[in-house]
Parts: sequence; structure tokens; C-alpha cells
Amino acid sequence: MLIKTREANNVVIFDIEGEIRRSESMQTTLHNQVKSHLDRGRRNVLLNLEGVEFIDSFGVGEILASYISTQNLGGKLKLCRISKKLLLIFQITMLTKVLDIQEDCECALESFEKA
Amino acid sequence: MANGRLEKFLNRFADVRGHEVHAALYLSGFLFLITFSFSIVKPVKESFLIGLVNPAWWPYADLATALLIGFVVALNARLLNRLPRRTYISVTILIFIGCLLVFWYAFDVYLKSLVSTPVTDSSGGIFFVWIPLAIIKTWPVCVFVFCFWSDVFIAMSVTQFWIAVNDVFDPYQGKRLVGLFVTGGLFGGIAGSSLAALMVIARLISAENLLLVCPIILLLALIMVNLIYREQQHLREAGEVEVNPVQAGARVGYWESFLSVKRSRYLLLLAATLASAMVAGSLINFQFKFAVLKIFPNAGDRTFFLAVFFLGILVISAVFHLAATGRILRSFGIRWALLVAPVLLLAGSLSVFLVSAGALLAWASLIRGGDKLFDNTISQSLRELLYIPVPADIKYKAKIFIDMFVNKFATGLGAGLYWGLYRLSGFAYKDEVVKVREIGILVVVFLGLWIVLTRAVYAEYPAVLKKDIRRKWDEGDNIVRANVDVDLTRDVFDALQSRERSTTLYLMNVFDLVRKNNLTPELKEVLGIKQDELRARSMDCLFDVGGEVLFHDLDEAIADKDLASEIDLIFLLPSYQEIMVKRLAADAGSASEVDRMDAAKLIGLMVRSPETLRFLERFLQDPSPEVVAYALRSAAVHRRAEHVPLILRQLGNPLTALEAQGTLTDYGPGVEDQLKSVLGDESEALEVRRAIPAVLARFGTQRSADILLDELARRRDDVEQELINALYKIRADRPAVRFREKQVRPELLDMIEKSYAICLSASGLAAGGGEAAGPAAEAKVALDLNVRRIFDLMTLLHPPEDIVKAYQNILKGTRKSGDYSLSLLDDLLDRELKALLFPLIENLPLEERALRMKKAMRLK
Repeated sequence: MLIKTREANNVVIFDIEGEIRRSESMQTTLHNQVKSHLDRGRRNVLLNLEGVEFIDSFGVGEILASYISTQNLGGKLKLCRISKKLLLIFQITMLTKVLDIQEDCECALESFEKA
Repeated sequence: MANGRLEKFLNRFADVRGHEVHAALYLSGFLFLITFSFSIVKPVKESFLIGLVNPAWWPYADLATALLIGFVVALNARLLNRLPRRTYISVTILIFIGCLLVFWYAFDVYLKSLVSTPVTDSSGGIFFVWIPLAIIKTWPVCVFVFCFWSDVFIAMSVTQFWIAVNDVFDPYQGKRLVGLFVTGGLFGGIAGSSLAALMVIARLISAENLLLVCPIILLLALIMVNLIYREQQHLREAGEVEVNPVQAGARVGYWESFLSVKRSRYLLLLAATLASAMVAGSLINFQFKFAVLKIFPNAGDRTFFLAVFFLGILVISAVFHLAATGRILRSFGIRWALLVAPVLLLAGSLSVFLVSAGALLAWASLIRGGDKLFDNTISQSLRELLYIPVPADIKYKAKIFIDMFVNKFATGLGAGLYWGLYRLSGFAYKDEVVKVREIGILVVVFLGLWIVLTRAVYAEYPAVLKKDIRRKWDEGDNIVRANVDVDLTRDVFDALQSRERSTTLYLMNVFDLVRKNNLTPELKEVLGIKQDELRARSMDCLFDVGGEVLFHDLDEAIADKDLASEIDLIFLLPSYQEIMVKRLAADAGSASEVDRMDAAKLIGLMVRSPETLRFLERFLQDPSPEVVAYALRSAAVHRRAEHVPLILRQLGNPLTALEAQGTLTDYGPGVEDQLKSVLGDESEALEVRRAIPAVLARFGTQRSADILLDELARRRDDVEQELINALYKIRADRPAVRFREKQVRPELLDMIEKSYAICLSASGLAAGGGEAAGPAAEAKVALDLNVRRIFDLMTLLHPPEDIVKAYQNILKGTRKSGDYSLSLLDDLLDRELKALLFPLIENLPLEERALRMKKAMRLK
């Protein structure tokens, strides 16, 4: 898994490539990376999952932990460009009730501004 | 005087901020001039009423005011709606000036009896003859008209002042600045009364001629009002202040004012409290009048005494206000400060039954003086504080109704009661002391009512305050818990992942879903499972112990609903256990990660035995985090104490930490002591220690809370955030858990001190500019995190919902909700904590914040 970070419109964007799974993760996990940005005062986080083919239970745990940490500080965490297959699983497991999933990054960035 | 020095000077009286200096000064100047003029009008009115009118007629003045004030309020509302605010106040001041000249003329005519015979001529001189005649013939109507007018003048002037305050400042600014305004008013009163007393004593001027001083003072007030609104207009044009929406859109009718009070229980109670206080005050005034009349039958002496009396009260009020009002409010809070006036007056009023005739004037002066003293100082400030939670638009309407109508109506009611007493009980023939005592019974009743209503108002106060403070966001874990079955989600993703890696693992994960009755048709479709296949393959797999499939026919006999229980039964078979242990032995030594994952998962399904536990121990130390994750879940099933150290070690690995936390949570509070010892052991890995508080928070027991607090008391910065998060979580989820103040408070104060250090360094960095901008921004972030921790700790001592709402609104709310939140904290927290916390959370310039912090630390 490869995570690149950039900023746009006061939003920290994580462009993730590969599979978010335990065996693919490094010692600095996605949640740790999100937390370090929160510790620096950032409050809006966007996970761009365009390059993500698969997520395991560890990956879901990381996304939920990132969501909880951001939400608890009054911030917003959103997802974008998620594959149709993953979206279906997210819907069945009700993750879509919690996670704000946008079709593309531009819409997601706009939705941060509106909020 | 330069702005900075002026600000420093004004800060002696109230919390005035740099940008507020001019407006605050003009407004307190305006109130100074208003009270200056009615401090002159008042003794003239009282003197004429007492000396020139029979005591039986005294109440008519107040009754007339009570009956007619409604019309004045309606007229006032019309003017207010139709004229621009600046014009409205200017026009009414000019009308008051005209009225003063007319009354001076009337009193002058009567007292000097200038006209004894009307002279008629054709040039219109008859007007100048009949008018004086009418004044003399209809006497004392003129005195009643003057009394009514002076009541209107005082009520309207004060209401106009607060309207102007409302136009210029928001409610929270008003609350901060009320001390300065009250000071201005008191000094105005002192100046007016002093002037009146000095002029009379020096026989420079007669009582009625004092009225000629007032127009000059009111002209100065007119200039002051125009300065206030001109400055506001300039600031608005420069875009430095927003247009006050209340001022811009306000259309206040008499009826709307009445309805706004009627619709709110809180405002009704507030109006009733004020009314009971005014009735009591009105009756106390009648007691005072009897005492004054008895001692001073001469009008000149009486006017002098009254002028000196009111002056004395104002001087004492000013001293009391500067020395005690703030202290009483800070020390007792609104709750008890509200009781100071009615309780002391009640005690004083009850003493009337012990007072002798000789001490009557001293007693009456003390009670009347006390009533005025409280009214001028603490009651004034408290009234403004009690209006804070009322939305600005409603407050605006309600204030007009309460301050003008209810106030005067209650005074009239007091007069009505006195009138009834006078008419019904042969009052006129009684001794003065008896009269004062009989009125005293009514006073005691209304003071009692005042106390009861005060308690009722305070009971409503926090609820009204909180109504407009809503959560800006919910806790993330609560949202997740309410919407997502986290265990199911984990099982689904595990099943999906394992499908590509191992059939055995896949089916074991599917069985987890079956066992928990979670295998919905939608999920089956996603997992690609067909009903028959599930049954058949599960059995194939379960008995696939080395490639050989046993009991082929069983799959047809087992229905889905029985599947889980049948499998459980099979797992219990000794022969099966024996075979599986062999399989575990083979997999444990396998180089294949998938084989070891299969085995680690399988242990959770097996009966506990020394062999399985030994294998579990081995898998808990496996180099593959995937294997460890499955082993941790199996460990949660068997829950053996000897595995706890291995599980704790996994807390240090970010790839398995969440699983390890879950496993320890499943172990339950029995492992609290082991967690405590690792948490306090600095030789343990930091990540392990940091993960432990979350586990203790999930236990949520009293013991867990005590462990966390003990650890917090050791003041280790490296785990502080996690400890506070966990304590907050326990407080939010387990209301039954108790936190001792003597343990929490030192930590809270320590956290505030740390925040002060950060803030003071940030203000130093900001002053450095340029290169220091980066570190200053970092300090700001660190300060924000610390403030969050302070609020989290405060939830342990105060209602968590209130503290969280206050924090969120101060951080992200509107200006109004932020102000309400500060008021809520003002009500919730004790004096020391408020003094230390407010400089941190109030919206202040850095330099000002630093100054306040240094002051607060000195006080501490």
C-alpha cells in the first residue's frame, strides 16, 4: 500500500494505492498518518481510494479509527472514488451510514467548503 | 488620554476591551447625564408630593402612573418603530427638556402666587392669565402630572439607554460592561444629588428652580447620544462593525412586547420577580414618607433632607458597587447573589416591629436606603445577567414591557395596596409607628414572594441558557456504535479476504457469520455463497483433515439454522479434537502463513486443552501480523491469564494493536491490575502504555477510573492525552462512576498552568513576527489540544453534556452560542476555575490574553 499526502482548500488528501490490508501495511499506518495531521491542527481529511483494490478488516478498522479521531475533534473525514464492489460491501455493512462517500475528489472538496 | 491608558483606567470599573473603549465611555457618559438629571428631579418630586399633598392622596400619583404608563409604552413603541434610533432618542430628549420648562413654570406660578386676578385684554394676554389661574385652581393636579411625568422620564430614559447599549454591544459585551455603566449611573446620581443639596443648602436656588438645571444636563446627553450613533455609523461604513440585526429589523409594538413576555415562562417569572420587588419597594417608600413627614414638616428642610439622603445613598451605592458588587457575584455566583437583596430587606423589614417611635426615621432611612442601594448596584447587574440567555430580539421587546410597564404597574399596585389600607382600616387616625408597621406586614409578604420567585427564576435560568447551545458534533465512536455492527463488519471483510487465500479459513469465517445469525441474503450474494453450497462445502471443509472427506451424507441432513450447533457438537468429539491437534502441530511448524492463519483461527473453535493453549501461545508470537490477529481472536475465546503479557506486547504493534485491545476488552476487568502495572512501568514500550487507557475505558469500572486518575497524577506527558481521553470516555458512557474532586482538580489546574505557559510563549513568538510565525502556529495547535484536555477533565466534575456543548460552541459556534456557553460556564464553575479558565477561552487579542493570565496567576 502506498499513501501520498497533499493539501487542497484546507483539506488533507490521502491518495491511497494498492490494498489496505494488514499484510500490506507499514508500521506507520493510515490511522497514525491521519492522527499526525490532526495533531498539527488539520481538521478536514479526504481519503482518495481510487487506487484501492481491496480492503480487509484491518483496513476498515483503520478507516473507522481515522473517522473517529477526526470526528471527535470536530473535523470531517470523507472518502472518494471508491470502487463499486467496495461501495456495495460498505452499503451492506452500513458503513455508508457513517462514512461520507463522494463520487469524485472535486465534489468531496466542495462538500467540505459547504459544511 | 491615549486609548491604551483610557482602557486601563476603564478596566478598573469593568472588563473593557480596546475596540470598545469609545462606545463604552460614551454610553456610560450618557447614563451619567441621565441619572444626573433625574437625581435632581426626584427630590423635587418627593418634596412636592410629601409637602403639598395630603397623605391620603399620595398613592394617586403612583396609581396614575400605573394606569397611564401603558399608553406611554404604546406611544414609545410607535416612535421607536417610525423613527431612526438616533432621531428617536434625540426627539424624546428634546420633549423632556420642553416638559421640564413647563413644570418649572407651573410650580413657580403656584409657589409665588404671581396671579391673583385675571386680566383680560384683546391682544391674547388672556392666555397668560388663565393658564396660571388654572394651575392654582386645579392644584395638586399639577403635582400628580409632574409625578407621572417624572416616572415616565426616568423609565423612558433608562430604557432608551439600554436600547442604545443593545444597538452597540452584543449581550456578552453588555454583561462585561454593565459594571462600567452602573458606575457611570451612580456617579451621575451622586453629582445630581450633590448639586441639588448644595444649591438648596446654600440657598442659591429654590426647589422648583432646580428643574432649570436639568435642561442643560439633558442637552449634554443629547450631544452624547449623537456622538455614540455617529461613531457607530462611521464604524459601519468602514466595515468595522456589523449592523446589529435586532436594530436593523426591529419593529416593537406594545402588543408584541407583551406577547414576547407572555410566551416565555422564564420572562414571566422574571417580570413577576421584578414586580414583587417593585411592590415591596413602593410600600417601603410609603413607610419612608411617613417617617420623613413626621420629622420634617417644613418643605425646604424636607427637600434638603431628601437631597442629602438620596445623595448619601448614591455615594454608598457607588462605594458598594466598586467594592462589593463584583465580589458578591464572583463569590456567591448568580444563584446566591439573587437572594442578597430580598433576604436582607426581609430581615430589616421584620425589625420594624421592634423599632421605637424615636428611631423610626433612622429605621425607615435604613430600609429605604437599603432598597435603593441594592436596586442601584447588585440588582441592576443581576437583571442584566438574567437577560443574557434571552435571545436578543425577544430581550429587546421584553425589556421595554418589563422595564416600563411591569415596573410602573407594580409600583402602582404597591400604591393601590397602600390606598386600600388607608381607606379600609381607619389608617389616617393611627399613630405613625402603627402606620409604618401595618404597611410593614404587606412589605414582608411581598419580600417573601420576591424570594420565592427569585428561586423559581434561578431554577429556570440554566435551562434557558442551554436551550440555544446545541452540540456542534457527536462523538465519532458513538456514531459508529449507533450505525455499524463493527464485529459483523470485521467478519464480513475477513471472509472476503480469506476467500482468496484459504477455503478452510473462508468457511470458518463464514461460520462466524452463521453463528451470529448475520448471514443475510445480501451478504450471501456479496460473498458468492449459494445455500446448498454453503451446507455441503462447510461439511467438506470441517472434516477435511488431511485431504480425506468424511460423512458425505451429512450435508443433506443439516438445515442452515442447525448448522452452527451441529458444528459445535462435532468440535466436541474427542476423535475430532485428536485429529485437529495433529493438524495444528503440522500447521504451527508450516512455513505457509495461510496454514498458520488457519490454525490460529481454528484454536478459537476448539475445546481448550494444554496442547491448544500451547499452540495459541506460539501463534501469539508469530512474526506474521495476520497470524497474530487470528491468534488474538482465539485468545479472546479462551481468556487465559498466561497469555496476557503476550497480548500486551501486541499493543505495541500498530498492525495488531486494535485486535489486542479488543482481546483484552474481552478478558474483562479481571486484568485491570496487570494493565495498571504495565501502564505505570516506564521501561515498557510507549506504544503499549499508550494503548492501555483505551482498554480500561472500555471496562468502564470504578477501579479502571481510579487507575487512570492515579496514573494521571504522576504527570507523565507521554501518556497524558490517552489517559484524559479514557477518563472522558468513562465519564460519558458510565454516569455511575465517581471522580473525586480532590484528585481531578490538581490535574485540571496543572493543565491550565501548562496552557498558560504555551499561551505566553505564543504571545512572545507572535510579537517576534516573521521567522517566529511557524513556532507560533505550532504553539496555537498545542494550546488548542490542551484546552480540549481541560474541558475533558472538567467533564469529570461537572455535567459532561453541558461542558461538551460549551466547548464545542466556544470552538465552532456562532458568536451568540459562544457567549451563551461562556455564561453557562460562568454558572457552572467555581470562582477560581473561572478566573483561570476564562483568559484561555475568551476571544481576546494575544497581548490582552497574556495580561489577564498573569493577573489570574497572581490571584491564584
